Amino acid sequence: MKARALVRLWSIFGEPLWIVVSIGFPVLSSLALSLLYYSIGAGNYIGFAVLGGVMVAFWGNVLWSMASQFNWDKQEGLFEIYLTSPASITAILVGMSVGGIVGTVPTAVIVTAIGWVLFHPAVAASWGAVAITFALTLASLYALGMTLSSLYLVYGREAESMNEVLQEPVSMVSGLYFPSVGSLSPFPFALQIVVSLIPLTLGMDALRQSLFSSPGFVSLWVDLGALAVMAVAFLAIAAFSLKALEMKGRRDGTISVRIR
Amino acid sequence: MTRESTRSVEVSGLKREFKSKSGPVVALDGVSLDVGEGEIFGVLGPNGAGKTTMIRILSTLLLPTGGAAKVMGFDVEHEPEKVRRVINMASGAEKAGYDFISAKRNLWFFSQLYGMPSALAEKRITELSETLGLTKYLDRKFYALSTGYRQRATIARAFINDPKVVFLDEPTIGLDVMTARSIRDFLRSEASKNGRTIMLATHNMAEVEAICDRVAIIDKGKIIAAGTPEELKRRLGAPALVMEVSPPPKDLEMLRLVAGVKGFTSSADDERELSTIQVVVESDAASKGALDAMTASGHKVVASWRKEATLEEVFVALVGSGFKEREEEVGS
Amino acid sequence: MISFRSLFASAWMGIQHDLAWTSPPAALVLRTVAPFASAMTVSIIYWFGVTHSGLTFDPARLAFILVGSTLYAHVASYAWVPTIAIAEGKNLSVFPHIYLTARSTALYVAGRALSSFAISSTTSLAALAVAYYVLSGFLQTTIILTITPASLLMLAVALFANIPAALGLGYFLGAYSLYASKFEWSLPGYVAGLLMVFSGALFSTSILPWGVSTVASYLPFTLFIQASRDALIYGNLGDYLTSLGLCILGGVGLLLVSLWVYLAAERRARRDGVLDRRLA
Repeated sequence: MKARALVRLWSIFGEPLWIVVSIGFPVLSSLALSLLYYSIGAGNYIGFAVLGGVMVAFWGNVLWSMASQFNWDKQEGLFEIYLTSPASITAILVGMSVGGIVGTVPTAVIVTAIGWVLFHPAVAASWGAVAITFALTLASLYALGMTLSSLYLVYGREAESMNEVLQEPVSMVSGLYFPSVGSLSPFPFALQIVVSLIPLTLGMDALRQSLFSSPGFVSLWVDLGALAVMAVAFLAIAAFSLKALEMKGRRDGTISVRIR
Repeated sequence: MTRESTRSVEVSGLKREFKSKSGPVVALDGVSLDVGEGEIFGVLGPNGAGKTTMIRILSTLLLPTGGAAKVMGFDVEHEPEKVRRVINMASGAEKAGYDFISAKRNLWFFSQLYGMPSALAEKRITELSETLGLTKYLDRKFYALSTGYRQRATIARAFINDPKVVFLDEPTIGLDVMTARSIRDFLRSEASKNGRTIMLATHNMAEVEAICDRVAIIDKGKIIAAGTPEELKRRLGAPALVMEVSPPPKDLEMLRLVAGVKGFTSSADDERELSTIQVVVESDAASKGALDAMTASGHKVVASWRKEATLEEVFVALVGSGFKEREEEVGS
Repeated sequence: MISFRSLFASAWMGIQHDLAWTSPPAALVLRTVAPFASAMTVSIIYWFGVTHSGLTFDPARLAFILVGSTLYAHVASYAWVPTIAIAEGKNLSVFPHIYLTARSTALYVAGRALSSFAISSTTSLAALAVAYYVLSGFLQTTIILTITPASLLMLAVALFANIPAALGLGYFLGAYSLYASKFEWSLPGYVAGLLMVFSGALFSTSILPWGVSTVASYLPFTLFIQASRDALIYGNLGDYLTSLGLCILGGVGLLLVSLWVYLAAERRARRDGVLDRRLA
């Protein structure tokens, strides 16, 4: 686990330019949506756009560096090496997550700093709650990434297209830039329930509450409890599906089948 | 199109240096050679010898830093577009193609890049795939082809534009014997029947002996020998001496000191506690010297006999027994 | 003849490449999802912002945002295709073989960009239409868009008029990709982000700082989005033609400069031996 985390960190920080490259979309989209709030006279909500920019960096990392990773490893012939080693695949995934989270922190810090300097969003935070919420949000989000990673093993290069299909809609329904659950949500209640199954939705809701004190349809503690349950559940699903896929792969002889 | 020469490939004093952190690296150091029309010309050399660099320059992928090269009379440095009209290339290590598109559509796509009318392209695809035994698999997506059929498709692509000169880099690497043989037959027929010039960079000595009209052995960026495989073997003089020696010697330094020994290879048979040593020698006197040196070193020569040198033995003799160490260096 | 066939075959390959991984209709539908979701996000931000700040909801402003958001996504999605065509071509080992055909890879790159233009035009307009209907029902409002044969024709002309500028941007990015195929995967994010901020897609460029605002307002992409809004929202032919003319002028200028840069990069790449290097 530690080794896989280090590999991820070495590959991120071994190329300092990577930081410059990876901040592009989070910084610019956060800037654009902050300016959108500002231009329509809703500057009091700019903090939502800045927070969205921070969390879109983690969401992008989960999709492109977690969910797709085993698929790429499979194409490069690395996945069969993982399988034939005595290491637990779940431990490798957890290591990948830890590396991904630490590696994305610089992007998150830069987005926050730029948002803060340019817009001074109003913050009324309970920092202890923010820290717990942030940790649980990332835990459940990366656990989702692990589940996707195992499911994507079924696909070939289609996995990349699945990522493209998922990225924007999940950003929208999970309310990265506006509340998608609670009294401020534009969505009908039934839809709010459905989108609450995505960890990012409850995480964003809880983070907004703890940072800006905006009321949600559930209390912060319900959000946190649900996030903890989701983190454990997704981790279990990932472990189970990896085992099942490994067995299927060994049975059908598909483990070493690469895309090219 | 006016051609200045009947030779297909003319290389004169070709040089290429690459920059590296530890200083310039010389990949080609004044290589000169000519290849005639309809000839299959093999380029042999250890890894890092400069074979691929030469192929990349001749196929206009890389500029030389010195010297000149012409393909069908056109200068590769100053007339790349004219060169590209008459060449094509393929590498065995790269199965170039778009994964989600059928082999046939991949071939059609490349034909269009050469401006071929679609009907002509279809005809050419049909002919090539029949000759290469690819017809049944033409509609299969590229990623779904087996290694052998992907390589057949790659070879078909390299001939799609009816090229005068084809550059091939290890075209049969990783293929089973039958597939490799059918590709070799195809190459031989393209050269003899259609007058195509084929330049082949390879490590496969048997392939070179089987299909190449002439061979150049390249090492450290220089050509160290060139000629027909037979000429090369003759030029090295006497056939090889084979000795079965017991116990297996730890090193063969004693052979290096014998005058007239040009190189050697050895393989150990642990079960029989024997080493079979093949020594390329210049003369009968050198053979006797090698036998004496072995006996003098405390080893028993159980059996010895003479045999015709193979191209592999010639290669080892020319490139030197330090080859293995260099391979390891390159590999690291 | 070689040029035409190369261009056509490259465009055909682009279509195959983008749609052949699943059934083409399914691929088109799936490609509509992202621009649709993106348009929904910014539209909801507008609705949320004005509703909860006690401001008046303006359907024309929503139309402004809706059109801008689908069109910036359209430009971003095909302007970066040259980059990915080169990077992926190197990865699949096809790029060197394309290079050593009789023409520069510039034609291949143009063909791939044009195929993406065709796909993206279809999916962006579909996203705009779906978002329009969903938002109209969802927000219970009438979004002011003028959909007539004339306005659609004007939009189509604007889409084509923007090709030189987008291709120009593509060649610049492609020149980078010839050399540095390490971070090309992140470029679409950069392109999309820059267009979001500087092309007047979501808000008027006048709110940007002085100087930046002036440059942004004359970018061909800004003028393209402006011309499209003139066609679909304002119906002002004079403004439309002005924006369109400036967009074409700027676009052709950008294309010529970027093509020169691309061809120079290609020559240099050959000298440095990176054309067939996967990681250059």
